[in-house]
Amino acid sequence: MSDVNSSAASSSGGSSIRRSSRTRSRKKKKNQLPIGVTLFVLVVAFGIYLGTRNEQLAVFWVTGLAFGYILQRTRFCFTAAMRDPYLTGGTNLTKAVLTAFAITSIGFIAIKYGAYAKGLPIPGQSYIVPVSLATAIGAFIFGVGMVISGGCASGTLMRVGEGFTMQLLSLFFFVVGSLWGAHDFGWWKLNVILSGKAVFLPDVFGWMGAVVIQLLIIALLWIAADKWANRKEKEA
Amino acid sequence: MKEYELDCYGEACPVPLVKAQNKLKELEVGDVLIVQIDHSCAMKNLPEWARKEGHNVEVEEVDDGEWEVVIEKVK
Amino acid sequence: MGIKDNKYYKEWIKDAWPYLTGAILLSVFQIVTLATTGNPWGVSGVLANWGAWLYEAAGGSVDKWYYFSSEGARRTLEGGFLNHGGSIRNLGIIIGALVAVLLASGFKIKKIKSWKQIAAAVLGGLLMGYGARIGFGCNIGALYSGIASFSLSGWVFGIFIFLGAIVGSKLLVKLFM
Repeated sequence: MSDVNSSAASSSGGSSIRRSSRTRSRKKKKNQLPIGVTLFVLVVAFGIYLGTRNEQLAVFWVTGLAFGYILQRTRFCFTAAMRDPYLTGGTNLTKAVLTAFAITSIGFIAIKYGAYAKGLPIPGQSYIVPVSLATAIGAFIFGVGMVISGGCASGTLMRVGEGFTMQLLSLFFFVVGSLWGAHDFGWWKLNVILSGKAVFLPDVFGWMGAVVIQLLIIALLWIAADKWANRKEKEA
Repeated sequence: MKEYELDCYGEACPVPLVKAQNKLKELEVGDVLIVQIDHSCAMKNLPEWARKEGHNVEVEEVDDGEWEVVIEKVK
Repeated sequence: MGIKDNKYYKEWIKDAWPYLTGAILLSVFQIVTLATTGNPWGVSGVLANWGAWLYEAAGGSVDKWYYFSSEGARRTLEGGFLNHGGSIRNLGIIIGALVAVLLASGFKIKKIKSWKQIAAAVLGGLLMGYGARIGFGCNIGALYSGIASFSLSGWVFGIFIFLGAIVGSKLLVKLFM
């Protein structure tokens, strides 16, 4: 997986590409570091404040900041992971997302099994939701929406932070759409979702079986994504 | 050896990459395409794609949040 | 400025990180999230609450809606934004990204360029919002967290979000580029 850094001259070693205008009229670059540091201090202060109200809130704040920082630094984009195999033939992000699935799965199953083994309630089971036509339709229209708006849920939030006004608009309508969906949810629940079933894979395959099968599927998908990207190269 | 500029300021993902892909098809070997972007995704996925295609690529940050991706068509 | 030549500044703050680093770090914090909050990471559910708060501020009421009828949902609504973990976390994502670009001196406001972008943002946002509610979540809550939680729903969501992305790409090229 090649990675790119934003400073001058990369793989071609030194500015070897001949260009007429080496520099456009360069605007003087402002140094935003002081603003960044100030904001960082405010962020820490806010975190401390939240902690005094409720310790858990500080945790939510810190994890949110971490997610935002990581997404931005790595240019991680779930939208691109799903869209690029079709649109550009690239699968670097697809493979990265699959890797994330695998690593997180291992951590999650460890936590869940640990609780189960001690006879404690398993955390996070509210995310095991019924599979029904609503899942398919919801996922499908979400997929359409994220590609045309230029960002998924996490990507939209990240881009708002980066200063994209288009995603600010998208976020507003995401909120509107969510409210609309919440309004209609009762109908969907009654007519579609109730006929569905929630399936926790370890219930079907056993704990170890579920882990092995899931990681195997992820590995196969990773290989498929890898081959897909190289296949396009051979064709070109 | 001709030089082309592609202004992609303000374009959303994945527009800079798609536009650059299309434009690069029109170029001859040895030509240079300078893509001007301000999208952080593009500053990564555009050079990655161009390098995978075998071209020479340089990325230069020209201002806060603005980059020029210089692609020399090699084949 | 001296700091811009510092090796750690460059690698940790200025330059972009590899995707693999992202996969690993996101996983770390997902696991932290499950372990400390009792639930995996979710983004879109929060946005429905934001919608409800805005709606109530504008004089509306969601009291009779099935979606907000559970005790937990009511408590969240009554508690407000500053008491809601998920809302704080979503705000954190925005600010975290902002801090990241500012420290790297890369912040720039990107204004909307065309009517096409407006149409795309409006339509895309609505589709994502509605889809996330009936699909029980977004790319994070339903897909990422769903799969990592070993829920079959995550995989089903994955198949269809992928198909949706293909259709979305066709629409993007035809209508919005």
